[in-house]
Amino acid sequence: MISRNRAAILTALILIVAGALCAWLRITYTLKPAGSQGGRAWRLTYDINLSSTREGKIRVALPDSTSYIRIYRETFSHQGIWVDLLRNKRTRGREASVVSMAGHKRGRFFAQFDIYLTPDQQSKLPAAEEKLSANDRAYYLRAEKDVQITAPGLANILNQLANEQMTKTELLTSIFDYCAENIIKGEKDIFSDAVNTLEHGIGNTLGRARAMVALCRLSKIPARVVAGFILENTQEAQVHYWVEAFSQKKWLSYDPENGYSAQLPITFLPITRDSIDIVRGPDTFGYQSRYSIRQLLASTSFVSSEDNQLWNIVDLTRLPPSMQEIVSLILLLPLAALITTIFRNIIGIQTFGTFTPGLIAMGFIHADWRTGTLVFFIVLSVGILVRLLLNKLQLLMVARLSIVLTMAVLCMVLAVSVLDYLSLTPSASAVVLPIVILTMMIERFNIIAEEDGLQNALKTFATTILVAACCFLVMKVAWVGRLSLIFPEVQLFNVAILLLIGRYSGYRLSEIWRFRDITQIPFN
Amino acid sequence: MVRSRKLHFWSWPSELRRNGITGINSRNIDLIFPLNPRSNYALVDNKALTKKLCESRHIPAPETYALIQRFGDIKRSIDLLFGLSSFIIKPTRGAGGRGVLAIANRRGNEFNNAKGEPFSLEQIRYHISTILSGLYSLSGHPDQAMIEKLIEPHPVFNGLTVAGTPDIRIVIYKTTPIMSMLRLPTKSSKGRANLHQGAAGVGIDLETGITCGGVWRDRLSDVHPDTGASLSGLMIPRWKDVLTIATQLSCAIGLQYVGVDVLLDADGGPLILEANARPGLSIQIANRCGLWPRLRETNLKLCLS
Repeated sequence: MISRNRAAILTALILIVAGALCAWLRITYTLKPAGSQGGRAWRLTYDINLSSTREGKIRVALPDSTSYIRIYRETFSHQGIWVDLLRNKRTRGREASVVSMAGHKRGRFFAQFDIYLTPDQQSKLPAAEEKLSANDRAYYLRAEKDVQITAPGLANILNQLANEQMTKTELLTSIFDYCAENIIKGEKDIFSDAVNTLEHGIGNTLGRARAMVALCRLSKIPARVVAGFILENTQEAQVHYWVEAFSQKKWLSYDPENGYSAQLPITFLPITRDSIDIVRGPDTFGYQSRYSIRQLLASTSFVSSEDNQLWNIVDLTRLPPSMQEIVSLILLLPLAALITTIFRNIIGIQTFGTFTPGLIAMGFIHADWRTGTLVFFIVLSVGILVRLLLNKLQLLMVARLSIVLTMAVLCMVLAVSVLDYLSLTPSASAVVLPIVILTMMIERFNIIAEEDGLQNALKTFATTILVAACCFLVMKVAWVGRLSLIFPEVQLFNVAILLLIGRYSGYRLSEIWRFRDITQIPFN
Repeated sequence: MVRSRKLHFWSWPSELRRNGITGINSRNIDLIFPLNPRSNYALVDNKALTKKLCESRHIPAPETYALIQRFGDIKRSIDLLFGLSSFIIKPTRGAGGRGVLAIANRRGNEFNNAKGEPFSLEQIRYHISTILSGLYSLSGHPDQAMIEKLIEPHPVFNGLTVAGTPDIRIVIYKTTPIMSMLRLPTKSSKGRANLHQGAAGVGIDLETGITCGGVWRDRLSDVHPDTGASLSGLMIPRWKDVLTIATQLSCAIGLQYVGVDVLLDADGGPLILEANARPGLSIQIANRCGLWPRLRETNLKLCLS
């Protein structure tokens, strides 16, 4: 007995040491620091709700692949609207033309872009050489409502900045310096036009960009405002504005707010150069737009295959993001099994099946948990009811199980559809519950209810839900999933802990309660 | 000192250890894994094999009327039932009394269980087919059904029998009986003799065969939960025979830590009901004593002899 325990402890120790060693070696030799490793793959989500019930048309600017940005996957979903993808005539930027249909309650446009920033580029990029037609040149030198180049105040400022000997390039730098240094960053609702920003020396992001564009155009340098996003994890991404000025046959980017001159970091994602709005439509046409940005897991070697070392097999972050999601979910299953083992062997709580809680939790991970719970209980109660009715028909087990399965599938699909019909759930995150596990749970519930009483069945059901909830809460923690993906070695620790639990011969927590009466008897 | 029962919500692990209580983890790791070879489990998990073993070793067990192995056999067996007025149908691989149907009497084509609930032949046939399809088997695999003689409980248990048949559980460690209890089905256990389903357990003194206080739903209890009859002071008839056949079976099975269930027939003597390779632990509460002191004692005796 003792030798077995020792062997188990020894094996556990070896596994822990091996796992730690492997992780340490990889951290030291192969994994690059988080800065260069992370920040490559991002997901930009558009969620635009049309509140108008009339017919109307809006334009939505979309991100596009460039020399350093690669959109490797995009999904669109929409309801109550027609969507057409097209390109802007002047800037060649991608746009979606969204037409709402009369009579539909609410239109919705939902788009997801998975973006990969080409890893072989440095953090700052050289711009490509271009030719500007006379027509375009005139267009980018024109006066606009908020870029008032004819205002007298502007000429005065430009006179201070420029002198006769200056080249165009020097002048551009001088203008940028002025806008970056002499204009204070103001709140969102402060001046957003060029004249007021320059006169008062304060403006919001858009105001500063327009101020610079106005000064450039006044000095005959073609310039435009770019609207886009800065890639960072956020639920409510704000549109950021910067400036592109045409100099030395190139469109050079300037961000007066953050002080980036001539080149921008690759995390600046341009969306549109033709307008300051990502969504354009008639003023009377109501819509709410929401943008969110989320970093995806990816490593340097997933797009370029330069780094094909054998070591990289262990580095799961090199897999394409879509596969990473599945892999990290699978890697979380052993963790759920560990939690269930702890509950069963150390706490002494019984569940329906060993892996049921973990698999239920897994079904909830990528779904909205409220709708998930609703669907879960609907399927379960209908299933138990069907099973109860089938009992009267006295069917053979396999046929009966198959009927319960069919009803559960039907019920789940209908429940999801009804929730979607009532617009209670985001259609993109429909619930896919482990239906076979649910069927077995329904069957087990009924058998236990019949054999050991409803009370016992409900108790086991409640404990199963409790354990599933614990698994869910742990699996839901973002860094747990990321950690298990970056360090598959964690699974060795998992096995080590399971080995120790497997040889744990002490009392379960529930036995402290179960045998509570026995210590009342004086021991003789 | 005996502490107030109502205020007692838990026992510290140290208290349990002092009383020699075996927990489930310890039972599995320290007793079942090293003492019970997996290959011999089939003999106890399959009641038909246990029965066959009893027959070959001349250990008394209830008479088997029929063993139904295939769906095609059901009809023939149903015909056999017409000649019987009482019988019990059980799955050979069932656990926890699941899938057991006891028919106590018959009026024409209508069968009644002990509680007087009617069962038609159709229902009995369905019950057998669910057994064969594996609904009650431990692993869910296809199973066999056994039709056995229904044992009338011994009159000594008259005041303690509400439903079902009481049996005697003997835990045997290395061919030595170390603990025993009388298992009394109750209303809440629906006639089954398993403690976790709500049956009452009564500790039995191994030397004398006299019962002491009992356990019900893991709490100490000195009276029957349904009838209120006293559980202690009952003398089990033919106690030495009970221990003998239980020990004989444990030797034949080749498991060194085993629970043997024995029935006391009204007219015959003790009969083997079944054996269990993973006997439950509530027997410790029924006997107000942990298993460890008894195990140590047995080891000591074995060492000395």
